[in-house]
Amino acid sequence: MANEPENIDQTARTLTPPDGPSARADGTVPPAVRIQGLWKKYGEQIAVAGIDLTLPAGRFIGLVGPNGAGKTTTLSMVTGLLRPDAGQVEIGGHDVWHDPVAVKSRIGVLPEGLRLFERLSGRELLAYIGRLRGLPGAEVDKRADQLLQVLDLAGAQNKLVVDYSTGMRKKIGLAAALLHNPEVLFLDEPFEGVDPVSAQTIRGVLERYTSSGATVVFSSHVMELVESLCDWVAVMAGGRIRADGPTAEVRGDAPSLQDAFLELVGANGRAAGQDLDWLGGGAAR
Amino acid sequence: MSASATSTASAGAPSGAPQAAPATSLTPVFVRLKLSLLRNGLRQSSGRTIAYVASLVLSLLFAAAVLLGLIALRGVDHAGSLGVLLAAVLTLGWAAMPLFFPSGDETLDPTRLVMLPLRPRPLIVSLLITSLVGIGPVFTLALAVGSAIMLAHTAGAAVVGVLAVVLVVLVCVALARAVATANVRLLTSRRGRDLAVLSGLFVAIGAQGVNIGAQKLFGSGAGLSALEPISDILRWVPPASAVDAVRAASEGSYGRAVLGLALAAVALGLLLWWWQRTLTTLMTSPDSSTLQAVEKDSARKQRSSGGGLQRLLPESRTGTVILRMMRYAWRDPKSKMSWAMAFAVGLLVPVISALQGGGSIYTAFSAPALLGMQMYNQFGQDTSAFWMVASTISSPRDAYLELRARGLGLALVGVPFVTLVVIGSAAFLGPWSAFFDVYGLALALLGCLVATGAMASALFPYSIPAESNKNIAAGQGAIAWFSLFGGMLVSGVLAAPMAGLLIWLHVADLHGLLWLLLPVGAAYGVGIAVLGMRVAAPLVARRLPEILSAVSKG
Repeated sequence: MANEPENIDQTARTLTPPDGPSARADGTVPPAVRIQGLWKKYGEQIAVAGIDLTLPAGRFIGLVGPNGAGKTTTLSMVTGLLRPDAGQVEIGGHDVWHDPVAVKSRIGVLPEGLRLFERLSGRELLAYIGRLRGLPGAEVDKRADQLLQVLDLAGAQNKLVVDYSTGMRKKIGLAAALLHNPEVLFLDEPFEGVDPVSAQTIRGVLERYTSSGATVVFSSHVMELVESLCDWVAVMAGGRIRADGPTAEVRGDAPSLQDAFLELVGANGRAAGQDLDWLGGGAAR
Repeated sequence: MSASATSTASAGAPSGAPQAAPATSLTPVFVRLKLSLLRNGLRQSSGRTIAYVASLVLSLLFAAAVLLGLIALRGVDHAGSLGVLLAAVLTLGWAAMPLFFPSGDETLDPTRLVMLPLRPRPLIVSLLITSLVGIGPVFTLALAVGSAIMLAHTAGAAVVGVLAVVLVVLVCVALARAVATANVRLLTSRRGRDLAVLSGLFVAIGAQGVNIGAQKLFGSGAGLSALEPISDILRWVPPASAVDAVRAASEGSYGRAVLGLALAAVALGLLLWWWQRTLTTLMTSPDSSTLQAVEKDSARKQRSSGGGLQRLLPESRTGTVILRMMRYAWRDPKSKMSWAMAFAVGLLVPVISALQGGGSIYTAFSAPALLGMQMYNQFGQDTSAFWMVASTISSPRDAYLELRARGLGLALVGVPFVTLVVIGSAAFLGPWSAFFDVYGLALALLGCLVATGAMASALFPYSIPAESNKNIAAGQGAIAWFSLFGGMLVSGVLAAPMAGLLIWLHVADLHGLLWLLLPVGAAYGVGIAVLGMRVAAPLVARRLPEILSAVSKG
């Protein structure tokens, strides 16, 4: 642990995109993500109901919403893992569905609910995905070494991923997503089921990554976390975007993002427990 | 935990709190639990209900047939040996069953009861009686009753027979329970689940062994007397000793009969004692998630492997994909099972036809047929981890490289295997003169299957559930069968020109040119495989999200 800061510095250097987000010919930086009219229906159920959203580059962005709001569906469509029924997604100015060559090398993904190649060890998994992405073997191994160190997985690098805990899986997934140094990182519930120590490690890596100009988009329903990490939030509920913008703006006059969020999704003031007057320690059974 | 809970409960818990009621027996509760679990399991899908009812009817019919068959053997020489042997085989089955089919009965996992205030002794009695509900015990009962009727010729023997039937059934059930309890740590761990997936293989090999044994037995003409040497030993092993006791009683040697019964009774007592001990230990010690026992061996194993092959393969996508394929073939129980089946069946067809005599060298085609089928549903074999592959495929070129690597990986194993099987068939079945044409045609067939497999992987992907004996996810059976049988049919058509060439050379009496089939067949196989993958690649690149959702249902 004593030499950890040094390792983080090294990794931060290798993780810094060489020239930041790809600039256009006229010098303006395109938004990290631009979504227009995105729709997805599963049978009768509408999962995503026409989203328009522009996420600026170089920010730490939180996509927040209650369970079933459509966060995972949205992220899957934005990253090209799920075909939308309608709509357009651009990443760094490149269309996800028409220009996959430009997009896939620029994004890193940590999906939720999909497996990894679990019968590989953590190290083998990184070696596999890095080479599949066409990076030179020596470079992959160097980056894998540093990522395993920084994410505190060095001790478990030879263990099969199938034997990893939830937190370790999230961390190895994050390492796999970062390996090719993407411009935009999409993380679906990266802190779900993760212990505080691992969460702090993940957090540290992500903060360094964004401070170098890269973009992180992550989904979560833990408001305190989003509020403390993100400088930009998009609030989702019922398959739509309810609000988006800089965190302070979305929070507005509310005392916390949590209150602002509850107001936005219309769940505020729903008093729980009036019918449970028998519940609690003491007299009645 | 459970020890303290138990003591509070029996010390008289305050009213309102849940209470272990010693007055009412646990048994009806457990029986109802078992029936509810069964009913709810069947409610999940009609396919499962049909399968269960079908297996129930079949088992009952089989049990009835066994019962009648045994009764028919009444009075036959050496019937005692048969009864002893059957009881012993049945006992072995009961001992092995919980290891291979742990998920079959949730009440087998006593750790689920750990939070309840239950004392070991009533718990064991209830669980034992609950275990008697089911197809297995009914079948065992039929076999035991049949053996008893077959062997009991006097009134005294009939009494011994009744006792023997009870003992045989109880020993079998208690054995299964005790083995399951002793191994519950293993069974609920990842390794145990891996083992369960491989159970099909053990069953297949076991069935083959029984088959060969039966052939030896009844082929030798010695009849049941061939059983004597084995049964002379087994008649002292409980609970077979109880079956032998019936025979002994019929022959008037009551001393031996009592000894046989006593052996079985002692075995039952020991099993129950062992079971109670392991159950108590299990329910009062921390479970494996706390101990993390698995952690060490998985890490230790990894350090030594993967060095050699990695150095030999290129660093590109091709080498990377092949390396992962090989690692999965060894480490992933589903892949291992599928490869082992392909090897075993591909090899067994010519071997068995050679053993039975009259086999043809053309049976060697089983090797390319079964190996080639490994190319089918390539992405389903990745499970939902296919997203990692999908996120690195951005052009038809990438998709082609991915397919080609998988085809090469298959050829790396498949071509040497096919070669060996063809050489072996030529050597043992002959004639060597057919070697070149069979070899050439086999390679062409392998190529055709790789081609159609690549197409089927792109067009008809389906999920392979990770942790069950199923190889097709619910609702995707039609896709799977269509792709496999359609693919086989198309492969046959694609390989037809080579077969045509072979026939033409024979008909035109150009036997001197038959060797041409080897280079032509090999080239044809490679050509058609490349063509198939070239056609499939743009489909894969275009259908990535559709393939991912099709393979993520497991």
